[in-house]
Order: sequence, then structure tokens, then C-alpha cells
Amino acid sequence: MLSRAARPVFKAGTAAAAARPVAIGATNAANYATLREIEGRLKSIRNIEKITKTMKIVASTKLTRAQRAMNESRNYGQTSQEVYEQAETKPLEGENKKLIIVCSSDKGLCGGIHSGLSRKIRALLQQNANFDLVILGEKCKAQLVRSSPKSIVLSFAGIGKDVPTFADASAIADQVSLLPTEYSSVQVLYNKFINATSYEPTFIDAFSEDAITQSPNFAAYEIEDETLPNLREYSLANSLYWALAEGHACEQSARRNAMENASSNASDMIGKFQILYNRTRQAVITGELVEIITGAAASADA
Amino acid sequence: MAFAWKAAGLTYNRYLAVAARVVRRSLKEDKRIAAERRGEMELRFAKWENGKQGENRSLAKANEASVAEHSSS
Repeated sequence: MLSRAARPVFKAGTAAAAARPVAIGATNAANYATLREIEGRLKSIRNIEKITKTMKIVASTKLTRAQRAMNESRNYGQTSQEVYEQAETKPLEGENKKLIIVCSSDKGLCGGIHSGLSRKIRALLQQNANFDLVILGEKCKAQLVRSSPKSIVLSFAGIGKDVPTFADASAIADQVSLLPTEYSSVQVLYNKFINATSYEPTFIDAFSEDAITQSPNFAAYEIEDETLPNLREYSLANSLYWALAEGHACEQSARRNAMENASSNASDMIGKFQILYNRTRQAVITGELVEIITGAAASADA
Repeated sequence: MAFAWKAAGLTYNRYLAVAARVVRRSLKEDKRIAAERRGEMELRFAKWENGKQGENRSLAKANEASVAEHSSS
């Protein structure tokens, strides 16, 4: 809501800043008008700065919680991946379709992290269109609906309000495992948290039962056939939880950065406008003085 | 069949969720409120066909419905 309201103001602000020398050189009548306009713009930019600063503070406090959740969930995910690493499981290169689960969220105002995911998907679609999409979160849905609506099989909303819970992840995993199509492999796409300013769209593999039984080191484990689907479902939920929590932490940190940049841009602009305002006011006063003095001199002569 | 819950049409995750809910509910009052917040889920989902979004439905209700459907069959 903020961005849309703010953009015209920013545009108007830059336009006015570019037109500054003209404004100063203009006649006095014009200066009276611009003075009030500048004052109005200053006021609105100050309000925007206040809003972005508050949002930055909110994001910072949420970020610490999100990062803690991320570290915990990473343990979950990596422990459950450990089995597959030991068994040397590889995704099957079959004829069957692949399924990709994209973990974004419902909220924007956090820079380009959602479009990073969408771009990755679009690049994959151009190479090989043989996969279906499950999309978590409204933002990526809105972006991918335009480019590839036919690939989407499921979409989830309501993600990103709070730190994701395991209940979220397991409910999604349930719904995904109920899909009618057989997929040769399932991959979870999420934003990997590298540091506070950089993220990278990354895949986690969630293997199908066939892939697990065909893994080279599978004999090292004693697994009954009946428990195998359970393992698959549970590890899908684990991977989803990891991806959701890490994606959430990335989003909060990206939002914090975006809001910080917006605040500093706003304060830059406030500085510029303040100078412009002072100069214009000075010009108006000087102009008035000149008028009074010349008027007085003229009447003294007469 | 080795698992009674599987015969009843539950998936493993559903079985886990039910078990977790039981554990949470048996906690003491002060701990229980914090723990139950971790079990909340308010997702909505929609099925897509041929590039058209279907109806937005609550995920929790849909999961319960699918369990009911499997158990009756």
C-alpha cells in the first residue's frame, strides 16, 4: 500500500529537484506558489520516512526470531537429509514429471527475493518444461501465473504472517502427497540465507520411493517396505519446514534492508528539499525587500 | 497391514499431527498455551486446472475431509 502511494511523490520529488535552478530563476509570483508546493512535498516525504523507519524496526525484531527458527529448522532438515547422503540417493532421471515446490510468501515490500525465485523457475521452464509447480505464497503465484499458468497444480496462501510452524509444513506435505500424478522427483525451491544481504534460490531434493530403493547404498539400512512411504512423507515435511523457515528469515532480512534503503533515500530527499525550501524562501524575502526599497526610494524622490 | 492408522486412511504426517496435538493438550496450563501456538495452521489452498485457479479453501478442513473420505472407503 505504501509503495504505490509513495511512487508518484518520489517521482514528483526528483522532477522538482531537477527543475531547481529554473525555480530559483523564476519570477517572484512563481516562487510564492512553489514555496507552498515544496512544503507539502517535504511533509509527505517526512511521513513516508516515518513509516519506512517503523517498518524497518518491526522487520528487525521479527528477523531475530526468524533467524532462530531458521537455525533450528536447518538442523531438522539436514538431519533428515543425512539418511539420503549416506545411502547416496540420486534423483531418478525418468520420463515421469518432476514437481517443484516454490517457497515464497504473501507479503511484498522486501526487495527482489520473490522475483529471484520466479526468475529461476522461468529459466528452468525454458530449458525443460516437463514439470509441475506447487506455489506457496501469493507473491510468486502472481508472478508465475503470467508466464506459466498451465504448470501450476496447487497454490497455498496465508504463508509469511508469522514464523512458519511444522504444522504448516506437514499439512502442505500431506496435500502434495495426495496429488494424483506420479512424480519422479520432488524438489523444494527456497531462498538460501547466505548472509544478511545475499540470498540464493536453492533446491532441496525430496526423493520418491523408487529413488530411495534404487540408491546405491540402500542395503546399509534395514527398512521395511511399509515404512518407506512414511519416511518419504516425513522427509518431505521436514524439507518443507526447513525451506519455509529459511525463506521466512531471508524475507525478513530483505525487508529490513529494503526499508533501510527507503528510509535513507527519504532522508536524502528531505535534505535536498529543505535546502531548496530555504533558498526559495530567501529569494522571496530578498525580492520583497528590493520592491520595498525601490518603492521607498521612488516615493522619497517625488 | 502393520499400521492401524494407515488402515484408517491417515497419512504419516497426519498421524504425527494428531499425536503432537495429544501431547500438547496434556501439558500443564502455562506451557500448553505456548505449545499450542506452535500447532496452529491457517493456510488456504487452491487447486489449479488448465491455468485456472480453483476455489480457495481452508487447508485444515480439506485435510480432515480427505481423511474422512479415505477412512470410509
